[in-house]
Amino acid sequence: MMHGNALAFAVTAGIVLAVVLIGFLAGRDKEARSSVEEWSVGGRRLGSLFVWFLVGADVYTAYTFLGLTSSAYSGGSIAFFATPYVVLAYPMAYFFLPKLWRVAKEHGYMTLADYVGGRFDSKLLSFLVAITGVLMLIPYIDLQLSGILDTLQVAGAGLVNVKLIVIVSFLLVALYTFFSGLKAPTYTAIIKDILVWVVMLFLVVSLPILHFGGWGQMVLAVATQHPKLLVLPASGPKGILWFSTAALISAMALFMWPHTATGTFSSKSADILKKNAIVLPLYNIVLMLVTFLGILAFMVVPQGTNPRLAFLTLIHDSYGGFTQGLAYATIALASLVPCSIMAIGASNLFANNIYRDWIQPDASPKRLTLVTRSMVFVVIGLALLFGLAFPTALVSLQLMGVSGIVQTFPAVVLSLYVRNLPKEAVTGGLLAGLATVFYLYASHNAHGAYEGFWGLLVNLAVIAVLTPLFIGRARQRTNAVMKSLFGGRSEQSRAQQPNIA
Amino acid sequence: MRRFAVWILFIVPFLAQLVALPWVNRIHPMVLGFPLLHFWLLIWMLLTPLFTLAIHWVLRKEEQA
Repeated sequence: MMHGNALAFAVTAGIVLAVVLIGFLAGRDKEARSSVEEWSVGGRRLGSLFVWFLVGADVYTAYTFLGLTSSAYSGGSIAFFATPYVVLAYPMAYFFLPKLWRVAKEHGYMTLADYVGGRFDSKLLSFLVAITGVLMLIPYIDLQLSGILDTLQVAGAGLVNVKLIVIVSFLLVALYTFFSGLKAPTYTAIIKDILVWVVMLFLVVSLPILHFGGWGQMVLAVATQHPKLLVLPASGPKGILWFSTAALISAMALFMWPHTATGTFSSKSADILKKNAIVLPLYNIVLMLVTFLGILAFMVVPQGTNPRLAFLTLIHDSYGGFTQGLAYATIALASLVPCSIMAIGASNLFANNIYRDWIQPDASPKRLTLVTRSMVFVVIGLALLFGLAFPTALVSLQLMGVSGIVQTFPAVVLSLYVRNLPKEAVTGGLLAGLATVFYLYASHNAHGAYEGFWGLLVNLAVIAVLTPLFIGRARQRTNAVMKSLFGGRSEQSRAQQPNIA
Repeated sequence: MRRFAVWILFIVPFLAQLVALPWVNRIHPMVLGFPLLHFWLLIWMLLTPLFTLAIHWVLRKEEQA
């Protein structure tokens, strides 16, 4: 049994508390919570640097560090699907994020469900997008929660009550998010990411030296002793096909998450989003190098180590207390900081697309602001409840997150480009796609590809079949959002001027 | 013509990182201490921004024209 290191734990606690304090300080200006627009998208005033961290930092979460290394530990190179995933998300984002941003700015949208509702004049479709977002995001928050649980279990084993600390730290995050709104994750994300880069680069350089004498020797040792870890299986449930489809689907899903949408809408201009989308792939190099550490752990840590703890055990066995503390603090922050923006994204969906649209349509702006902010406690509370009380009940939902959320891609992205996309077809496609994903996860056989891939194929097929049936009505429809996307005139003239905003 | 160029610049990183994998799914030759597969993924992480940048230039020229 491992024993925590008191110095390591003290360093972790000190850094986390300092960041929590910054989370509160971020909102000392009252303006941060004066309206929904201020609280949830920072008044759409954020410049390039902040958008960079809000949009790019989502990639560096506790789940990516612990999940990717654990998947490399047990499955070898298949874990590197995350590299093309995070790289390819951005060329797509280059095209559709600025379009989405312009529509959102013009019509005051705060969530993707807002956009879908306005674009299709459909409360139902908007509700479905919102509920998909919330349903898939809470388990995703729980992945972060289990990340900090694991970290503290290694950092503070025998020293403290780990569950109590997790509850307190999540409540602190909820409280500072309630207080400071988007400013909190913006400022804390910068600190977290600086720590991530410094600490993870240090680990990537020093761990191979400590255990093998250098990076080259490490790769050579793996190549001679366990060559299978360095290539992808040609077939099987997790082979090349799984790798490619998982990367593609995850890339398409990245900007469908409620919290990445929040980051997008907070931008000051469409141009900032374009420039960030060009450069952001480079930001993921550390993520790729860290994945190698999962393979290194396989070579070094005792056999039979729980894969979830492989990376943490590697850190625990390799360094003294202070360095351990820095590394644990980094992972703990990578768990807490993203939770803040995820909670904002989910709260917006709850408040705008469920509470306002269905329960209290005449809520005053002041009331809506308070409801939105209070929802943070509901979201974090639900995450804590599920994560701590029923950790196994949500396992399937957690795995499903990406596959589920990507089913909203046609409603959000296709709708930006295809004017006469009938809402009936998109609704049918979304439901069919979700049903396919649920079925595949229940049946445990996705024929070697990623579940969300089949879901999206069914989704698009249903759209293709239903579109001819409803296209007549779709042609007749027009509204302010369609006008800002496609111009106000007939289809023929639209072809000549696709980019009006 | 410009549209075609944009389309090609967009699709090449996807083909390289998703479709071409069976041809680079090897350890040797190693490059810069990376197995070939991982070197391939790494190099495309560096190249993809250049492709998007090229798209950006082409589209901006079109806007000006």
